[in-house]
Amino acid sequence: MAEISFPLPDLGEGLIEATVLEWLVSPGDQVERNQPLVEVETTKSAVELPSPQAGKVVRIHGGPGDRINVGEPLIVFEVPDNTAGIVGTVPKEEAPKRRVRLSAVLDED
Amino acid sequence: MMSGRHTGEQHSHTVEGTDPQLYVAVHEPKTDAGLRPILLIHGFSSSSKLNWEDSGWLAALLDAGRRVITVDLPGHGRSGAPEDMDSYSPSRIRADLLQIAFDAGVRPVQAGDPASGLDLIGYSLGSRLAWEFGATQPEIVHRLVLGGPNMADPLAEFDLVAAQHYLADGTPIGDGSTAGLLKMAQALPSNNIFALLSLVEAIKGEPYDPAEAVPHMPMLLVAGENDDRAASMPQLAELAAKVGSMAEQLVLPGRNHTNAVTSRVFKQAAIGFLGS
Amino acid sequence: MSNSILEGETAGFRQTESAAGNVTVVMSMQQALNRALDEVLAENPKAVIFGEDCGRLGGVFRITDGLQSKHGENRVFDTPLAESGILGMSVGLAMAGFHPIPEVQFDGFAYPAINQIVCQIARMNYRSRGTLPMPITLRVPSFGGIRAPEHHGESLEALFAHVPGLKVVSPSNPHEAYHLLKYAATRPDPVIFMEPKSRYWQKGDVDAADGGSPEGAKVQREGRHLTLVAWGAMVARCLQVAELAAEDGIDIEVLDLRWLKPIDADALVASVRKTRRAVVVHEAPLTSGLGAEVAQLITQGCFDTLKAPVERVTGFDVPYPSGDLEDEYIPNIDRILFGIQRVLEYRRG
Repeated sequence: MAEISFPLPDLGEGLIEATVLEWLVSPGDQVERNQPLVEVETTKSAVELPSPQAGKVVRIHGGPGDRINVGEPLIVFEVPDNTAGIVGTVPKEEAPKRRVRLSAVLDED
Repeated sequence: MMSGRHTGEQHSHTVEGTDPQLYVAVHEPKTDAGLRPILLIHGFSSSSKLNWEDSGWLAALLDAGRRVITVDLPGHGRSGAPEDMDSYSPSRIRADLLQIAFDAGVRPVQAGDPASGLDLIGYSLGSRLAWEFGATQPEIVHRLVLGGPNMADPLAEFDLVAAQHYLADGTPIGDGSTAGLLKMAQALPSNNIFALLSLVEAIKGEPYDPAEAVPHMPMLLVAGENDDRAASMPQLAELAAKVGSMAEQLVLPGRNHTNAVTSRVFKQAAIGFLGS
Repeated sequence: MSNSILEGETAGFRQTESAAGNVTVVMSMQQALNRALDEVLAENPKAVIFGEDCGRLGGVFRITDGLQSKHGENRVFDTPLAESGILGMSVGLAMAGFHPIPEVQFDGFAYPAINQIVCQIARMNYRSRGTLPMPITLRVPSFGGIRAPEHHGESLEALFAHVPGLKVVSPSNPHEAYHLLKYAATRPDPVIFMEPKSRYWQKGDVDAADGGSPEGAKVQREGRHLTLVAWGAMVARCLQVAELAAEDGIDIEVLDLRWLKPIDADALVASVRKTRRAVVVHEAPLTSGLGAEVAQLITQGCFDTLKAPVERVTGFDVPYPSGDLEDEYIPNIDRILFGIQRVLEYRRG
């Protein structure tokens, strides 16, 4: 198993920090990619941060009311070694399906 | 998550002959629950992206199988900033919203048809517009969710002259509410500040009076416990109750006018309320 | 997790002994390539492996997994995100007597290094009258099929094959991957090694002791009525098509081209002189694709015996589409069957 840490992302508009409002996941939770992780508030708005990847939550940083700087650790995932960093999706092996049937008179000359 | 989204689709019909240049997007869920679409109306100085996408609302509603229509108000987000003042008046905006709803295929509410009609979720200024839209379009609107709602529009008290002086030469603004709203509007570089002031001016010309027309459909009123701008939410609920409307209220502990938007409790309550 | 293919790791391969006494091992193409690279590093002290995330992480597809910790940071290392630099460095290392085995993380990322590949690597040997050979094995995870974003699903074989001085090869299964990579990594010439990334996770028997000839094409299935010519990920699909065609009484030969430069014209001609019909299948767009070269070689060698013009079943002449559309783009079973039917129906006159 490998651990992958994600920092608080750049929230744009020149923002350098955010305040944690509420965590939507807890250590031990299995999360999917894009699942909402945490609500944070900046000086400009409140946003819900989606998970950048699937994995098991190992640690979360900061409780409600705590400030986190952009680039500081926000959450740590545990992922199987062989999926770390993979781009795309592992193709499923499926039984071949067809709609076309062949018809031919083969003259074996 | 965003499958079936039509970005930048301008609605095809205009009211009153002019194109308000509103940025409309229709978002299709992966699995359609078969319920009526939901129109989202954002708050002053916000946008569909800030109020509904970044806050997780759009994803939550799509996950719940709801078809969602978003629109940026004039001068906001990716909508245009028309020169004429008429484009910003609440009545004109409501007319445009109605046209947008029709263009998105909304049909009048019919008993026994869960796909008919339209649900509305508004926040702040969007709640005012939703209240009035619900009151004036009872045939279309099925249910309302009003976030951060208020008896009086804080924009009506906005000191336009002081704001214009401040923008011209930095003269400090005496009124705290005006200064706060202007600061909020300036915080986002994407805002067209002069278009927003046109909206304020237009709103002052059509002040909000929720008692004048009260929606008769069921509504859910939601505000943060620390939301000063929504302190009069119970009075709105009373108004609704007086005309026999079902009005539920939900207070979000620890939240204020800014950060109530992302609340899970708020989203879940809205999804439950509109799904029943 | 469904994609945990490296479970058990190298120690836990299932081994079986064949009648001939050879030991075959079941492994994925990832594992086969990993083992080949491990052995190349052990056998050739001048071999070095590098690329984006190749070192500590072991590559985005885990092909270089564990090699840095085993062989050291001087032999397996990470590079900056700059393909021109990765290939430029390869030129210098090759000049200095090393055998670089660089990785371009994805097919579409080879474009920034086209200058280094075409103008330096491919012609340095020629330019220097043979005094500066370029023994470089460039690994390129290639072709589509994994629902990835832009630049992660492209088929560059025709581009590379068109450049004098380059050799191009693509394995179709774990056994081929192991042997072709080991062979490519001992060549004195630059070889573009195109790994079919959609087949990385597919397991198969690898007989490390007996790879047969590492050169030329290979018949992966014998048949009498028609030859399907393919390479990389399309070989497996053509083998599926051959099984389906057999249900209809059509006996198909599948020729795995393996080497796309030089192309094994003798094998093509031998197969099609027997079957007298041919369909070539590739993921790359149709126009000026390698299928045209294959069709010409077949026509040249089999003109008098061909029963129909060679058909091509390929990707479309469009940029490679986003992941959710790639099933529409990559030749599927039905499109290949249609191609076969067109050839079967052809009548002269």
